[in-house]
Amino acid sequence: MSKHHHNAPLPDTVLRVKALESLLIEKGLVDPEALDELIDTYETKVGPRNGAAVVARAWCDDNYKQRLLTDASAAIGELGFSGRQGEDMVVLENTPDVHNMVVCTLCSCYPWPVLGLPPVWYKSAPYRARAVIEPRAVLAEFGVTLDDDVEIRVWDSTAEIRYLVLPMRPTGSDDLDEHALSGLVTRDSMIGVGLPQAPVQQNR
Amino acid sequence: MPVLTAKQVEPELRRGSSTRMAVDVDPRFRVGDEVITRKMNPRGHTRLPRYARGRRGIVVRDHGVFIFPDRHAADGLKTPQRLYSVRFSHHELWGPNHDRPDVTRAGFPPINASIFLDLFDEYLESL
Repeated sequence: MSKHHHNAPLPDTVLRVKALESLLIEKGLVDPEALDELIDTYETKVGPRNGAAVVARAWCDDNYKQRLLTDASAAIGELGFSGRQGEDMVVLENTPDVHNMVVCTLCSCYPWPVLGLPPVWYKSAPYRARAVIEPRAVLAEFGVTLDDDVEIRVWDSTAEIRYLVLPMRPTGSDDLDEHALSGLVTRDSMIGVGLPQAPVQQNR
Repeated sequence: MPVLTAKQVEPELRRGSSTRMAVDVDPRFRVGDEVITRKMNPRGHTRLPRYARGRRGIVVRDHGVFIFPDRHAADGLKTPQRLYSVRFSHHELWGPNHDRPDVTRAGFPPINASIFLDLFDEYLESL
């Protein structure tokens, strides 16, 4: 079980999942080894570090960034990330004038190959309902306050396109290499409800 | 239905299953076209959310041709349909209510926000 309480499912849900799992295995509908492999994939292999690598590459390589904005699925595939729930990707670039954020009001659509599985709040009714009607208030609750003249663009993933936000490169990060930069990219900054971390100031 | 084995997990996830169709369907709309979404209340599945029915927007991107999910959910048929990204102003969807709880008085300028939805061809009519 996750130690992150704000992401932890309710105990009832845990019990229900355990009951369903044993029933499905008992009836031969699910191979428990395949189930372990699936869980291992999304717990240890596929997650927001993938997306962070994409963002850091785009920050360092302008040609890559152009490819990413033109054909995101192919550019993300160049770094080895592809597949389920990321078959048809679009990348949204944040600028000083435009801030993008992503929601799925119909369910919980999310770009798995670059971000892993969605956090519980992303699937919750309040986030889904409020993101499209009061985006600025929702962003403020995530700690993001933007000037009134910054246009907010909310992308509701109503079909099979999956969205990844390309956040702005933090100021003061000019000296950092691609690997160090990827460490500043948070999951929330790629959903558009957060900003990348500021680089730690080196004592000179 | 065959049961997924552990060895199949990695290649299956990597391959994914795009709903994009290699079929050409003439676009009824072009980028920049003004459109209005249909008012509809189907009994079955649809990807046109209630909050965006009967609203005016602008086509900003043509995503290409995909399986039309409303039909696919109804009878399993994979019919091709064009998918567009359509941009709506916050004011068009929600009226004059303001995004900031401290500013609710009438006459305040609409908030600087747009909402983009991916909408299938038959959800849209020309304006």
